[in-house]
Amino acid sequence: MLEYSFMQNAFLISFFIAALCPVIGMFLVLRRYSMMGDTLSHASLAGISIGMLANQNPVLSSFIVVSMFSIIIEWLRKHFRTYAELILVIVLSLSIGIAITLLSSGLVHANIDSLMFGSILTVTKSDFYWVLFFSVISLFLVYRYYAELMFIVFDEEGAVIAGANVKLINYLFAVLVAATISISIRIVGILVISSLIALPIAASLQLEKSFKQTLWYGILFSYIDIFSGIVLSYWLDAAPGGIIAINSVILLLIVLFYKHKIRSNKKRIIQE
Amino acid sequence: MLKIDHLYFSYNNVKNLLTDINFTLNDGEYISIIGSNGSGKSTLIRLILKLIEPTDGTINNTFKNMAYVPQRFNQLNIHFPITVREVLASYKKVRHNGCQDISEVLNLLNLKEKEQTLIGQLSGGQCQKVFIARALLGNPDLLVLDEPSNGIDVKSRDEIYELLANLNKSKKMSIICVEHNLQAAVKNSTLLYHIKKGHGHMCLPERYAQEYIKNDLGDIKC
Repeated sequence: MLEYSFMQNAFLISFFIAALCPVIGMFLVLRRYSMMGDTLSHASLAGISIGMLANQNPVLSSFIVVSMFSIIIEWLRKHFRTYAELILVIVLSLSIGIAITLLSSGLVHANIDSLMFGSILTVTKSDFYWVLFFSVISLFLVYRYYAELMFIVFDEEGAVIAGANVKLINYLFAVLVAATISISIRIVGILVISSLIALPIAASLQLEKSFKQTLWYGILFSYIDIFSGIVLSYWLDAAPGGIIAINSVILLLIVLFYKHKIRSNKKRIIQE
Repeated sequence: MLKIDHLYFSYNNVKNLLTDINFTLNDGEYISIIGSNGSGKSTLIRLILKLIEPTDGTINNTFKNMAYVPQRFNQLNIHFPITVREVLASYKKVRHNGCQDISEVLNLLNLKEKEQTLIGQLSGGQCQKVFIARALLGNPDLLVLDEPSNGIDVKSRDEIYELLANLNKSKKMSIICVEHNLQAAVKNSTLLYHIKKGHGHMCLPERYAQEYIKNDLGDIKC
């Protein structure tokens, strides 16, 4: 399996996105913005279409367009405080509108299946370098602003009073989300990007650990989901996106079962 | 010193929530802001903290280091995965410098053994103490609190008021506290600021207590 260059590329790319997705997902989930991944993945379809139209690298064009939409979401957050989920619907509608128009008009010819479901066959060395570039920068920025991001997600008003540059960090985070989505869709596909962002964190939250430990468990679960997904997709000759999504849900169910078992045991010991 | 002059505030310029608010907080004073629900107490605090802008009037603040203890700790997501130490450490990192040692502050509030506990696993009183610890970490010269005893047990409430009185008297820390606990307000404050229907009146705590009893919870003018 590893003798094929496309599998080597797939594993190399997965190594980075498996770490980046839960790191970004942690802050999104705790902000109650889990569906942002879904919205922006559709925006990335628009970005890829525009990139193909302009003859540019799809990862780069996707990053630019998704960043733009991500910044718009952050800006609209102030205007739709009560109905925050409406913002995602607005942006989703606009981006999917652009993508469908470009793809259906015949201006752009793309392999829609690989974009929707993810593909390990179409991953190139150039994709890997873009993934490496965005991953390293994004992970460094999260590491650099980790305390600020944690503070803002926990208590945004408190962070303003404490002197954090909340506005700047929120916009920076919006761009980091865009980078994560843009580099991940090659492997997992547009339709299941949310599972990679939210489900490892949904599983790690069940363990009721500290912020840092929750994040590390999220990364561990993400590695299990993605690597097992890629290996299985190779053997089954199926799109990796779907298998990764199924693996994420199975892992979440295992964690929930484990949690239930531990609680039952504790209860029994107390009763005895 | 904090000086508020002819302060007005309204949402979308519709109706004045605060009308012609005037008061001065000198260094080392402890002012309790009292009034019924919806009278504008928390709005006044948000104006002082510069979270919102006044419609008219000025706030001159010469305090260099403000800290805030929010009321909404009891509205927090109790499943948020963050420990007591992480709450304090993130604050310390954001403030960059001039902060106390985390262990010292935890000892002051008898929270040392809860250091690694998740915030959602604490009682209401312990949770409030964490927010006070976070505020004290930055050595503030002005501490702003929004109903610190709201929804907590009597023992924790007494400990918190004892700590506030001690900080005010021994460390000369200036305090502004939105208060619904009139007993604590009268006992600890240097001055009371009573807001009713958007209008405010400053009065001495003893005078307020007398008027309060005389008027049988009614209209109080100091």
